[in-house]
Amino acid sequence: MNIQQLLLLLAIPCLLSSSCRKYLDVVPDDVATIDYAFRQRSTAEQYLFTCYSYMPAHGDVSTNPAFMAGDEIWFYYPYAIPGYDIEVAAWEIARGNQRVTDPLVSYWNGTNGASNLYQGIRDCNIFLENISKVPGMDQYEKDWWSAEAIFLKAYYHWWLLQLYGPIPIIDKNLPINASQEEVQVERMPVDSCFSYVVRTIETAMASLPDRIENQATQLGRITRPIAMAVKARVLTTAASPLFNGNTAYPNFVNSAGRPFFNQAFDPQKWVKALEACKEAIDICSGHGYRLNRFNPSVSFNLPPALQTIMDIRTAVTDNFNSEVVWGNTNSPANQIQNLAQPRINAANATNFSFWGITAVPLKIVNMFYTRNGVPVTEDRTLDFATRGAGTRTATDAEKYYIQPNYTTAAINFDREPRFYADLGFDGSILFGHGNQDLDALNHLEAKQGQYSGWGGTPNNYNITGYWPVKLVNYLNVMPTATTYSITPYAWPVIRMADLYLLYAECLNEVNGPSAEAYKWIDSVRSRAGIPPVQEAWTRYSTNPAAYASKEGLRQIIHRERLIELAFEGQRFWDLRRWKEAERTWMEPIQGWNIAQSDLLGYYQVTTLFNRSFRLRDYFWPIAEKDLLVNKNLVQNPGW
Amino acid sequence: MLLLICLTLQGRVAGYSRHGLAQPGVTQAADTIPGRAGTPASAADHKVSGTVRDSSGMPLPGVSVAVKGRPGVGTTTDMNGGFFLDIPGNDTVLVFSMMGFTPRELVVSGQKPVDIRLHASAYHLDEAVVVAFGKQKKADVVGAVTSINPSELKVPSSNLTTALAGRVAGLIAYQRSGEPGADNASFFIRGVTTFGYKKDPLILIDGVEVTTGDLARLRTDDIANFSILKDATATALYGARGANGVILIATKQGKEGRPVYSVRLENSFSQPTKNIRLADPVTYMRLANEATLTRNPLGITPYSQEKIDNTAAGTNPYAYPANDWLKVLFKDHTMNQRVDANVSGGASVARYYVSAAFMRDNGVLNVPKLNNFNNNIDLKTYSIRSNVDVNLTKSTLLITRLSGTFQDYVGPINGGAQVYNEIMHANPVLFPAFYAPDEANRFSHHILFGNYGTGNYINPYANMVKGYKTYNTSTINAQAELRQKLDFITSGLSFNAMVNTSRYAYSDITRSYQPFFYSLGSYDKASDTYTLTPINPDEGTEYLNFPAGGGTRRITTSVYFQGILNYNRVFNNKHGVSGSLVYQAQNNVSGDFTSLETSLPARNLGISGRATYNYDQRYYVEYNFGYNGSERFDRKHRFGFFPSAGIAWNVSNEGFWKNRLSRTITNLKLRATYGLVGNDAIGSPRDRFFYLSEVNMNDGAKGASFGSVLGNPYRRNGISVLRYANPDITWEVAHQANVGFDMSLWNKLNVTFDAYHTYRSNILMARASIPGTMGLANVPSANIGAATSRGIDASVDYNHTFSKDWWIQGRANFTLAMSRYDKYEEPAYEDEPWLSRTGYSLSQSWGYIGERLFIDDKDVANSPVQTFGTYGAGDIKYRDINGDGQITALDKVPIGFPNDPEIVYGFGFSVGYRALDLSMFFQGQSRSSFFINSTTTAPFADNNALLKAYADDHWSEDNRDIYALWPRLSPDVNINNAQPSTWWLRNGKFLRLKQLEIGYSLSKRLLDRCRLKTFRFYVNGSNLLSLTTFKLWDIEMAGDGLGYPVQRVINLGVQTTF
Repeated sequence: MNIQQLLLLLAIPCLLSSSCRKYLDVVPDDVATIDYAFRQRSTAEQYLFTCYSYMPAHGDVSTNPAFMAGDEIWFYYPYAIPGYDIEVAAWEIARGNQRVTDPLVSYWNGTNGASNLYQGIRDCNIFLENISKVPGMDQYEKDWWSAEAIFLKAYYHWWLLQLYGPIPIIDKNLPINASQEEVQVERMPVDSCFSYVVRTIETAMASLPDRIENQATQLGRITRPIAMAVKARVLTTAASPLFNGNTAYPNFVNSAGRPFFNQAFDPQKWVKALEACKEAIDICSGHGYRLNRFNPSVSFNLPPALQTIMDIRTAVTDNFNSEVVWGNTNSPANQIQNLAQPRINAANATNFSFWGITAVPLKIVNMFYTRNGVPVTEDRTLDFATRGAGTRTATDAEKYYIQPNYTTAAINFDREPRFYADLGFDGSILFGHGNQDLDALNHLEAKQGQYSGWGGTPNNYNITGYWPVKLVNYLNVMPTATTYSITPYAWPVIRMADLYLLYAECLNEVNGPSAEAYKWIDSVRSRAGIPPVQEAWTRYSTNPAAYASKEGLRQIIHRERLIELAFEGQRFWDLRRWKEAERTWMEPIQGWNIAQSDLLGYYQVTTLFNRSFRLRDYFWPIAEKDLLVNKNLVQNPGW
Repeated sequence: MLLLICLTLQGRVAGYSRHGLAQPGVTQAADTIPGRAGTPASAADHKVSGTVRDSSGMPLPGVSVAVKGRPGVGTTTDMNGGFFLDIPGNDTVLVFSMMGFTPRELVVSGQKPVDIRLHASAYHLDEAVVVAFGKQKKADVVGAVTSINPSELKVPSSNLTTALAGRVAGLIAYQRSGEPGADNASFFIRGVTTFGYKKDPLILIDGVEVTTGDLARLRTDDIANFSILKDATATALYGARGANGVILIATKQGKEGRPVYSVRLENSFSQPTKNIRLADPVTYMRLANEATLTRNPLGITPYSQEKIDNTAAGTNPYAYPANDWLKVLFKDHTMNQRVDANVSGGASVARYYVSAAFMRDNGVLNVPKLNNFNNNIDLKTYSIRSNVDVNLTKSTLLITRLSGTFQDYVGPINGGAQVYNEIMHANPVLFPAFYAPDEANRFSHHILFGNYGTGNYINPYANMVKGYKTYNTSTINAQAELRQKLDFITSGLSFNAMVNTSRYAYSDITRSYQPFFYSLGSYDKASDTYTLTPINPDEGTEYLNFPAGGGTRRITTSVYFQGILNYNRVFNNKHGVSGSLVYQAQNNVSGDFTSLETSLPARNLGISGRATYNYDQRYYVEYNFGYNGSERFDRKHRFGFFPSAGIAWNVSNEGFWKNRLSRTITNLKLRATYGLVGNDAIGSPRDRFFYLSEVNMNDGAKGASFGSVLGNPYRRNGISVLRYANPDITWEVAHQANVGFDMSLWNKLNVTFDAYHTYRSNILMARASIPGTMGLANVPSANIGAATSRGIDASVDYNHTFSKDWWIQGRANFTLAMSRYDKYEEPAYEDEPWLSRTGYSLSQSWGYIGERLFIDDKDVANSPVQTFGTYGAGDIKYRDINGDGQITALDKVPIGFPNDPEIVYGFGFSVGYRALDLSMFFQGQSRSSFFINSTTTAPFADNNALLKAYADDHWSEDNRDIYALWPRLSPDVNINNAQPSTWWLRNGKFLRLKQLEIGYSLSKRLLDRCRLKTFRFYVNGSNLLSLTTFKLWDIEMAGDGLGYPVQRVINLGVQTTF
C-alpha cells in the first residue's frame, strides 16, 4: 500500500463527516403533520368526523350510563362469562362503587367506558380555528361544517354539565405550552354553563341545515331540528329542580365564595324551556316528524292489539322512523339487542349466540299502567293490590299478550299495551323473529329448565324474569339453533314522543293543568292504546282529580315519560333532573326466583340488590389526580 | 484473543512486552506475525520440551514460556500446548503465563518433558482487557471495566444470558421464564437510571452492536474475551450508545499450527424448578360455591351438590369431569441436546477459526397420542462462525468474520407461556379435555373436544393440540476489518477500518384447525351413557388452515462502518502515550414498521477519541470524548458532545512500595474517573422524531359513520395526533463518577472494587402539570427528569495450587445498584408528601398498607371507607394514611424494596485433584420486592384455577382468620382486594445453587492410546437448590409465577480435542 492509497483511506471518514447533516436527515419532506388535515376538503371532512367521534354512544349500555347506572335494567352477578366482553363500569356505579380514585364512566378523563370529551372539545376548537384555511370549499359548506363542530362542542359541554354540574368551559384552546397558571382552569357556576351551552347551540343553529338532503351518506348529522330539540332539553333541565334553586349544596362554592348552584328558584327558566320546546315541536312538525305507526311494506293483517304493540316497538326499532328526530348512526343498536333478546322457542333452548341477560326489575314492571291507563296502585276497577305473587292462567281473549292456557304471574294480566310491547316474561307472546303466524306466535317460557329460563348453566340467563323486548327488532331471526341475526337501527336519541311530553311538562310547570297540556300527553297515550288522561283518571283512578292540580299532573306527566321512554336511556336523566333519584333509587332491585322450575317456587319475589343513593351521587366525582394537578378545581360535594 | 503472549515476571514488566500490550487495537497484527514470539536463545545448554494444559486437561496454545532472569529468552506453546526451548543450564526456572491464567514457575532440571497445568484466574495484571475500540493491559486501565474468563459463562443452557447473574460484578440480572426461545434473562449494568425504554446495555460482538437475542445465542466456546464497561471513560467512545453501559465480546481467532479439532456433546435433563400446585376438582367446586354464597347468600351456586358428589365418587368422568390440566398438558421433564465443534489452525499467511454448533431445546408439553402432529416446543438452533485473518503484507492484516445463526421452531400456537396461562384460566370441572364418542358421533373423524355454553370457555387441551406455530430466524453477519500499521509514517501509528453488515430475518406461520366442541347433552346414570350436543358444528374444521394474510415476516438490516486511527508509543521507557480517533456510522432499517416514521432508517454518526498518558507505569491520565449525532432530534440539538477523563495511580509501582509492602500487597492501583455520556434512546421506540408532530391521518378509532343505510354507511376515519412537535427535546445525559482500586495480595487474592455515582439529567418524561381539561390527545414530554444511581461492584478471586495434584480457586462478586428519582414532575403533594417519587428508587412500588382482613361487618362500619369496590368482612383493610376517613389513591405509600433487585451477588469455588475437578457456584439477590398478582391468581374469576395454597388458607365465615393468605373468596376479582398493597408484597430475596459441576479427564496414557489430546467427561446441573421463604412458585419469576417455569437442568457432557 502506498501513501496515496493510505491518504484516500484516511479521507473516507472525513468525507462522510462533511455530509453528516445530510446523513442524519432521514425524514423525507411531506411527513404528515396536523396542517395536512386542512389542505383538502376530504381531510377536513375526516377532521369533522373526528369531532363527531367523541359523541357518547347513546345506545350502548357500556358508555351511556343512563342504562346501567340507574335502576332500569340489571344483570346477574358476576356478569362475566367467556366470549362476551362488556364494560360494565356504569353498573358498578349503580352498585354503589363510584369513586374518586379512577372514577367510573369518566367523561372528564375518557376512562372506564367513556369517551374523552375535553379532548373532543379541543378537536372541535382545532377544527373551527382551521376550517377557513381549506382551499376550494364553498363558503356555505364551511359554515355548515363549522356549525356542526360548534354544536358538538356545546353538546360535549352539556353532557359534562349533566354529569358533573359546574364544569370548566373551554371555548378556546389553550396553547400546548401555556403556563401552569393558564392551564389551571376553574369550574363555572351551573347557570353560566347552561347559558354557555344554549348560546353556543344558538350560534350553531344559524348555519345548520333544516333537513339532510343526501340521506344515504349524511343522515345522522346534526340538523337544525336536532339542535332545537337539544336546546329544549337543555333548557328544561336548567329549569328542573336539580339545577333550579337546588339548595342541597349550600357550601359548594367557588374560590370567590360564590355558590356553584343558584340558591333561588327562578320560574322564568320554565318559560324559556317552554318556548324552546314549542319552537322545537314546530320545526320538527314542519319537517314531517310525527308519531310512528307500524306500516310494513308487506302487511301482516295485524289485529288491533298487535298493531298497537308494533306501533310502540317500531317507534324505537324501525331505523329512522317518522318520529326519530335524531338517530345516532354511530351507535347502531347491536349489542343492546343481543343483550335483550330472550330465547323464543324450544328449538333455540341452547342457543347461546346471543346473551339475553338484560333483566328488568319488578319496580319497573310495576310502573306500567293497567289496561285503563292508570297506575296499578290507583286502578279501582282492577284488584292489583291483592295479586302479589299470585298466578293466573291466560284465556284465549288475551292471546296476543299471553299464551292461552299458560299460567303466569297475576300482575302480568290487565296491563296497558306498552307493558306487552316493552316486556318479555314467562308466558308472554313475542311477535316476529321469523314467526308472523297469528295463530301460533312464539311465546316465552322462562322458569328454570324451560327454554327461555335459566338452564342451570352459569351463563345467558335473565335474573328477574323480564326482558326489555321493546329494544329488540322484530326482524331479528335465529337462522339456526346456534346463530342469531340482528337487524340494527340507528339509536333514537330524540323522538317526537319525548318532545311532546317535555312540552307538556313545561306547560304544566308554567301554566298549570290545561287542555293544551292534556292534548300533548294524550297524543302519546293514544298511540299507546290507552284512554286520555282526563277520561282514564276520572273513570278508573282512586284519585280521579289528580290531573286537575299542578302537582297531580306533574306526577302523571313524569310517569308518562318514564313509561313511554322506558329502556331508552331517558329515565336516568329525568329522575336526576327532577331530583327524584334520591327516593326512587333507594328501592330494592327485585325479580322472580328464576332458579325455580315450578310455579310456586318461581313466582316468589326475590331481592337481588339493595341500592343506596346519597345526595352526592347526583354529581360524579372529579378524579383525585385531577384535583392534585389543578389546584383550582373544587371537588363535588360529598366526595 | 489479540494478544496471548505475555512474557512477564511477577511484579516486573519486561520492557518490550509493555510496548506490545499497551497498544490498543493493532497489537494483534504485530504479534501474530511469525517469528516474533520465540526468540532462540544464545548459549543453549540443552533443550527442554513439554505440554501446558488448563485445569481440566485441555492443552493451552499460546502460553508464554520464559526463563526467569533472562528476558528475551522464551517461546510460546503451539496449538497442542507443546513447546521446545533451549535453556541455559540446569535448575532453570521457567515461568509459564497466559492471559486469564495464574502464572506458574517451575524449576526444570534435566531433559524430562514437562507437563504442567495452569489454572484460570479471573484477574491478572498483564491480561489484555478488551476496551472500547481496542485493548488495554489490565494494569493500564483507568476506567471501570470488568473482564471475565469466558469459561465462567459455561452453563448447561442454550442461552448465554442465563449465565450472567452473579457472575459479573456490576451486572444486575434475573431470569423470569424458562421457555425455550423466550428465556432471556434481563440484565442491566449498574441498575437502571433512566425512565426511557432503553435500559439494557449496548452489546457489541466483535465491535458490532447486536441484540439481546444475538447475545443469547452466542456459544461460550466461541468467546475469546468478555468485558463489561461501566463508567464514563470506558464507554465514552460509544457516545450516544453507551449510557447504560457496554458489554464487549470478542470471538476467537485462529492460531498458527496444525488443525486442532474440538468437540463438545451435551445432553440435558430439564424440569421445572417448582410446579404450581392446584386444588383438586372437588375442592374447587366446593369453594366456588362458597365464593358465590359468601358474597351473595341469594346467589345461584355454580355447582350442584349432586355434581360434587358424583365427581367425588368418580362417576363417569365424561359426565362428571375432573381435570388436572397440568397433568394433561405437561410432562415432568424433557431432554435437550447440544453439540459444539470447532477447528482452528493456520500458517504464517493466514489463520482460521471455524466453529459450528447445534442445539435442540424441547418444551415440557405433553404431546397427546390422539393428534397426528407434534406441537411440543422444539427449538433447533444452528450456528456457524468463521474467522479468518490474512497477512496481506508485513504490516497489513485483513480479518474477515462471518457468522450465521439459524433457528427453527415448532411449538404451540401462542407459545408455552400461553399454555400455562390457559391452564390457569381453565375450568377443571365443566367439561373434559375431550369426550369419548357417544352414539351419534361414533363415526366422527375429529376429536370431540369438551366445552360449555357458547364454546367460549378455554379448553387448554384443544387450544394446545389444535395447531402449531413454526418460525424460522436467520441472523447473518459479515465483517471485514483491515489493520494497517503505519510505523513508516511514525512509529506506533496504525489504522483500522471495519465494515459490517447484518441481516436478521424472521417469519412465522400458524397452522391450525378449528376444534369441534361438544357439551354434555344428557347423562343417564342407570346405563352410564351420555349424549353430546355439538356447540359449533358449522365452525369446526377437520383440516388445517392458516391465517389470512399469513404470518409475521420481519427483516432487519444494519450496516456499520468504523475507522480508527491509533497512536501508541513509549518514550524513554517512561512516557507511555497513546491516542485513538474513531469515526463510526451506523444505519439500521427495520422491516417491522408500524408507521411511516418507524419505517425510516435509524442512524447514528459519531467521532470519538481517546488520549492516554502514563508516566513510568505509575501515573495515568486518560481523556475521552464522544461527539455524536442522532437523527431523532431537531437540528440544533442533533449533535451532542460528551467528554470524560480519568486518572490512576499504580501505587505498587512506586519505589517506596516495592521495598516494604510488595510482598503482601503485590499490586495496588487507585483509579478515579468522571465524565458525561449521552443517550438518545429516550421516550419510546415509536417516538422517532420528537421535533415533528406525528399524526395518524386515517385513525379508525376516531371516525364516524352516517347515512340511512345501516350496514353500508358512509364512513370516514378520523385524524388523531399521536405526538405534538417539540423541537426542544434533546439528549439525556449521564454524569458518571467512578472511584475504585485493584489490589492483589500475595499474588493469590485479587480484589477489584468500584464505587460509582451517576447523575442522569435531561430524562424525558411526560409533563404531569397538564390537566385533562386541556384536552390533549397525548401528554407532551420534556427533558425534565433527573435520577441518580449509586452503588458498588466488587469482585474477589483466589487461586492456590497446593501441589502438582491439588489446586483450588474461589471467587465472589457483589453488585449493589441503588437508584433514586431526583427530579420527577408530579403534582405538588403538599399534604401527601409520601406520594412524591423524589428520593425513591426508579422501580419502587407504591401501594396501600394492608393491615389485616376485616373481622366482621361491624369492623367494616367502624373503619374508614374504602373506595375501590364492594367489600366486607374478610376483605383487606387498608390503613388511612392521610386520615381523611376514606381510603383513596392518596393513601398509597412506597412499600417494599424496588422491583429490580438492588443487590446481586455470586460466589463459588472450584477444586481439582489430579483428573477430577469439582466446582460449585451460588447466586443470589436481595433488596427486591414483588407483588403476587392478585388478579390473575384470583380463583374463579374469569374461570381462574384455584391454587392449593389459597384453598388451604383463606378467610371464610367458619374460619375467620384475619391474617389468612387469601381474603374472603369471591366469584370474580374483588377490586378492593386487588389493589397493590403490602398484603401481596413479597420479598424477592433468594440464594440458589446456580451450578454444580464434576468433571473427570482421561489420563495422558489413555489419551495417547486413543490418539486424543484431551477427553473430559462432566456432569453439571443448574438451579439445583434454592433458599427462599416464598413457596408458591420459583421466586425468580417474581409476580409472573403463572408463566413457563424456570428450569432445573442436569446435564451430561463430554468434550474432546484431537
